[in-house]
Amino acid sequence: MPRPLEPVSPALRAVLGISFFVIFIAFWSWMTFGGHVARIFLADPLSMLRDGWRLLVEDNFLLDIGITMWRVFGGFILAAVVAVPLGIMMGAWKPVEAFLEPFVSFARYLPASAFIPLLILWAGVGEVEKLLVIFVGSVFQLILIIAVSVGNTRRDLVEAAYTLGSTSRGIVRRVIVPANAPEIAETLRLVLGWAWTYVIVAELIGSSSGIGYMIINSQSRLQTGQIIFGIIVIGLIGLVSDTAFKALNRKLFPWSLA
Amino acid sequence: MAKNAKLLVEKVSRSFPGVRGGTPVRALLPVELSVAENDFITILGPSGCGKSTLLRIIAGLDHPSEGRVLLDGREVRGPGPDRGMVFQSYTLFPWLTVAENIAFGLREKGVPEARRKEIVANYMQLVGLKGFENHWPKQLSGGMQQRTAIARALANDPEILLLDEPFGALDNQTRGLMQELLLGIWEREKKTVLFVTHDIEEAIFMASRVVVMSARPGRIKSDVAVDLPHPRSYTIKTSPEFSEFKARLTEEIRVEAMQAAEAH
Repeated sequence: MPRPLEPVSPALRAVLGISFFVIFIAFWSWMTFGGHVARIFLADPLSMLRDGWRLLVEDNFLLDIGITMWRVFGGFILAAVVAVPLGIMMGAWKPVEAFLEPFVSFARYLPASAFIPLLILWAGVGEVEKLLVIFVGSVFQLILIIAVSVGNTRRDLVEAAYTLGSTSRGIVRRVIVPANAPEIAETLRLVLGWAWTYVIVAELIGSSSGIGYMIINSQSRLQTGQIIFGIIVIGLIGLVSDTAFKALNRKLFPWSLA
Repeated sequence: MAKNAKLLVEKVSRSFPGVRGGTPVRALLPVELSVAENDFITILGPSGCGKSTLLRIIAGLDHPSEGRVLLDGREVRGPGPDRGMVFQSYTLFPWLTVAENIAFGLREKGVPEARRKEIVANYMQLVGLKGFENHWPKQLSGGMQQRTAIARALANDPEILLLDEPFGALDNQTRGLMQELLLGIWEREKKTVLFVTHDIEEAIFMASRVVVMSARPGRIKSDVAVDLPHPRSYTIKTSPEFSEFKARLTEEIRVEAMQAAEAH
């Protein structure tokens, strides 16, 4: 057994990471091919791949994937455009925080999925409703996390800037924003992951396209292979966007890693 | 003397409100201090004597409970670029390179880029950091970070340079080199400098005047002129004159340190 907190070599890290997937798929194969679970409840890996291929080739599933991605990123960008400036203002100016913080903390606990019926009444079952679900689900979380990290800006850096002649505006623009930019980017990355859960829920209810729609549609036809394929696609997209986000952060903020 | 003083501290005191409605804590009893132009003054005192509080009040980062601070006859009401400050903690902006850090104040002032570059290059040279322009602060040693911080404060061409135990976190050898570097800069540029420290040797080596502060509540206990000749090199630290100053100040500080220890 290695000692606690002792680092692991990159090669071993890769091997360990991959081996869990192998074990997972092996267990799944054993359950399904071995007949330990009825086919009607859980498709085996091979028929999942077959179903997935059919989805892509015959049912134009790529379009669904595209629609779902547009909803996630659309709603999320809207939320970020509102939340980043508001969060920075709340963190920087205490009266703004006193004014907004109680409401935002309250709104944060309102489940986005519970808003879906209301949002359908207001905006119909079209794209606006889907974007709003993502927006409602992400915006309050973003505001609060960003406000907290901005509020924790190192005071000694702010003081140093004052002694170098910064005005209040200069402090915000040239200390508070750059100091917190990596953490804000990291928060966006985290909350984007949550946005994926909201979009699927939004597509399960009152939708005629998207990955979530395909999943609920497959359920009524007991196509568990398709459901699993849809879930795996979401996981893969999440993994890719997460990795891209991380790489972008590393490129944008080399100083925070140097 | 008070007439042509660069910096004038008039009856400045500071108390902090008591914790949970308790009695207020007096950190600083009324302090009078006058600093002449081009003077290098060290403020020497045991930890917790309020010497940093005094410096922060002069910098405008803290407000006096009573009294006022005058710089060139104008009352200090907040922090400003006319009082450059070097902190004990490393306060370089981590997202800016060394050169950009030094240029920070110049950019705030709106100095054009060409002129900015010239000034930055000059100060990089002065603190011996040529070749490190594009390094991130994280990549520098503690001593190099504080040299950058000194260059950053000086590049702004402040009326007075305030230093709050800037070498406190450095190892002994680096600290000695930094003292020589700062003293060398002062001997050339003749800035007005106020330097807070608890290190007796450091206080004597660089100062033309050592102001000794008493244990909390802080007040000025004595004011010792150091008439050692300039330019000073590190060898002066072993001279009999230096030892005499050291013996005298050690005695004064010892009494205060003992009082401070008893009070806790």
